[in-house]
Amino acid sequence: MRKLSLMLLLVALLTGVAALNAQEVVTLEFWGGWTGPDGAIMQQLVDRYNAEHPGVQVNLTVQAWSPLFDAFIAAASAGESPDIMAMHPQETAMFINLGLIEPVDDIVATSEVFQKDAYVSKAWELQFYNGQMWALPFDLGIHGLYYNLDLFEAAGIEAPPANAEEFLAAARLLTVDAAGKHPGDEGFDPANIVQYAINMHTNHHGFYQWYALYNQLGGQLLNEDGTACAMDIDKAVQAWQWLQDLVYVHYAAPQGQTDYARDFITGRTAMLVDGPWQIPAMIAAEAEGLRWATAPYPTIFDKAAVWGSGHNFTLPTFADPAKRDEALAFIEWLAANSFGWLASGQLPIRNDLIASEEFKELPGRQAFVDMLPNQVLLPNIPKFSEIFASNAPTPMMVMGQRIILEKADIRTEVQNACDTITAILSVP
Amino acid sequence: MRILPRTAESGSYAALAGLAPKRRPSLTPYYFILPYLVFFVLFRLGPSLAGLGIAFTNWQAVGTPRFVGFANFEAMARDPRLGDAFQNTVFFALLTVPTLIVLSLALALFLNQPRRGRAVGRVVVFMPYVIMSTVVGVLWTWILDKDFGLLNVYLNFFGIANVPWLVSESTAMYGIILTTVWWTVGYNMVLFLAGLQDIPHELYEAARIDGARAWGVFRFVTLPLLAPTTFLVLMLTIINSFQVFDQVYVMTSGGPGTATLTLVQYIYTTSFQFQKFGYGSAVALILFGILVIVAFFQIRGYRRGLKGVE
Repeated sequence: MRKLSLMLLLVALLTGVAALNAQEVVTLEFWGGWTGPDGAIMQQLVDRYNAEHPGVQVNLTVQAWSPLFDAFIAAASAGESPDIMAMHPQETAMFINLGLIEPVDDIVATSEVFQKDAYVSKAWELQFYNGQMWALPFDLGIHGLYYNLDLFEAAGIEAPPANAEEFLAAARLLTVDAAGKHPGDEGFDPANIVQYAINMHTNHHGFYQWYALYNQLGGQLLNEDGTACAMDIDKAVQAWQWLQDLVYVHYAAPQGQTDYARDFITGRTAMLVDGPWQIPAMIAAEAEGLRWATAPYPTIFDKAAVWGSGHNFTLPTFADPAKRDEALAFIEWLAANSFGWLASGQLPIRNDLIASEEFKELPGRQAFVDMLPNQVLLPNIPKFSEIFASNAPTPMMVMGQRIILEKADIRTEVQNACDTITAILSVP
Repeated sequence: MRILPRTAESGSYAALAGLAPKRRPSLTPYYFILPYLVFFVLFRLGPSLAGLGIAFTNWQAVGTPRFVGFANFEAMARDPRLGDAFQNTVFFALLTVPTLIVLSLALALFLNQPRRGRAVGRVVVFMPYVIMSTVVGVLWTWILDKDFGLLNVYLNFFGIANVPWLVSESTAMYGIILTTVWWTVGYNMVLFLAGLQDIPHELYEAARIDGARAWGVFRFVTLPLLAPTTFLVLMLTIINSFQVFDQVYVMTSGGPGTATLTLVQYIYTTSFQFQKFGYGSAVALILFGILVIVAFFQIRGYRRGLKGVE
C-alpha cells in the first residue's frame, strides 16, 4: 500500500515537472557584482526584460565582485557556469587564461547592436585580448572631481582646479582649522582642521589615483610582454609624492580617511575624487542642502590621464550552449536600453546615447564623459588579481597603504612593489 | 504504522537506551549521527583529504592538476608574505588566548555567584557569539572607525585622542583582537559555567570549614576541579585563534599593508583569489601540522597535570 502511494506521488511529481517544461521558459543565470544601489537598478532592468519576454526568465545573482569570481571559478571546476557573467575589462585575461570565457568575435560579426562604430572607441578596444574580442561592452567608470559649490564660493574660488598650480592654491584656501586659518598662515593648527580640501583614498582607489598620475608622467608599469615590472622609479616616486604630500605636507586631505562620500556630503572635505557611481548619492544629498558639481580629474603633471574601469558581459565556457542565443538577445537588449542603467551614475559608451538630449539633461555626467578618451586601465594580464586585487595584500595595496597611511619612505615601497611584481610574473 | 515496539528483538526503546541485555551492537545510534556524518565527510573530511593531494600539485581549480612534488613547499621559503601571515597569526594567538581564558573564567566566576540579574548577565555576555561573523565584522568596523567610531567617542571623553584602529599598521591587529574577544568570550564563559556547576558543593563547604579563604578555595578547589574544562577551553581557543579568518576578511582584508594578514586569510587569498590551489593547500597542510603539534603538547601536558593532581 505504501509503495503504491509513493509511486503515485512520484508520477504526480514527474507529470508536474513535464507540464512546466511544456511552457518552455528559458531560464538565464546572470551574475554581477553590483552590491550598491546599482544592483537595484540592474534588477529593475531585468524585471522589465522578463515582463516583456514571457518565454525567458533572467535570474540576476548579485554578490560582491571578489566572492562572485570565487563562485564563478568554483562552479566552473564542477563544469557549470552562469549564462552571462559580468566583469571588468581589465579582468578578462585572468578568466581567458583559466579557459572560463569564450571569444565573441562571431557574435559581433553578425550583431546589429554590437557594432564598432556605435561605441566610444576606447570602450570597444578594451574588450580585446591577444587580437580576439572576449567581452561585450556595457559601460565605463572613471575618476572625476566632485566639488562643493557653497564651500568654493565661501573660499572665493571661481572654477574647479585643472592643474597642479590651481589645485594647490585652491587646496590651501579650502583647508581651514578651528580658528579659520589656512595652511601657511601663522598659527595654523594641523591638529584641529575642521575642513579639508579633498579626500585621500586609503583603499585600492589610492593606487588607482597613483596609476593615473604615473600615466600623466608617461610612466609604464609592466614591460611589453607583461613578464616583469618596468616602472620608472623616479616617476613612480614623483606621482606618490604628490598624493602623500596632500596629507602630510599641505594638510589638504585627512589622514586615515574611511568614508569619502560621507565626508564630502557633510562638508568635511570640499572636493572628492571618485567615480560617477557617487552621482546618485550626491543627488540624494541635495535634500540635505548639498550643492555640487563635477569637473574632470585634474592634470597634475604632463598630460591628461585618469583611472578608469567599466563593466562588460562575457559568455562563459561552461554555460549551456543551447541558451547562448537567448543570452545574447538579453545582452543586446540591455545595451540598447542602457539609458535606464545611467541612473546608477555609470557612463554611457554608445555614441547615440552620449549625443542624445535625454543624456545631456542628466546632472554631473558631462565632465566625466569628456575625460573618457584619457582613461587608463590597469593592465589586463592573467595574474591581475595577484598584483592588483583590492581585498588582499597585493603589492599595489601594500605600497599604497604604507605610503598613504604610514607615511612610509616612497622610494623603498615603490622598489619593493616593483620587485614583488617581477617575482610574481616570473613564476610561470 | 507501528509506534510501540513489541519485542526487544525488533529494536525496542529499551534496547536503544542500553537497558536491555546486549545482543548485537545496534546500528540505530549511527542513524542519529548520520546527518552530521554525511556533511562532515562531504564538506570537511573529503576536502581535507583532497587538500592533502592538491598540496603536491599545481592546480587552478579548473583543468587537470599537475603533479609538482614538493615545489609548493619549497616556494614557501621564498615567500615573504607567508612569513608575515605566520608572525601575525602567532601574535594574534599569543594575545587572544590568555585574554579569552582569563576574562571568560573571571566572568564565569562572577556570574556563577547567586546574585540578582545573573541570568541577564550571562545572556548579555553570551549574546555576541550568536551574531554572524560578517555582521560582527561590519559592526566593529563602525565602532572602530577612526573619525566617527563609537569607541573613539568614549576614549575622547577620557581625554584620549582618536586612535586610528583599523587604518594603521600599528593598531589594526589590536582592533581585530578586541573584536574577537568581544565576540567569543561568551562561548568560553558558558563552558566554564558548566564546569563550575559540576564541582560538588560539599567541597566548598569542607574547604570553608577548614578555614580556607576565597583565594584558597579558588586555588585549591575550583581551579584543580575545573582543569578538564580549562583544558578543553584552552584547546578550542588555541585552535580557533590559529584559524582566525572571518573578522579579518570582513574588517581589513589583511591590511593595512600586511598588518592583519593571517594564515587562513592567506590560504584563502592564494587559493581562491590567485587561483593557486596547490600552494594554498600546501600552506593549509603546514597549518594543520602546527595545530597537531600544539595539540600533542597540550594533551601530554594535561595528562602529566592529571597525574600531579592524583
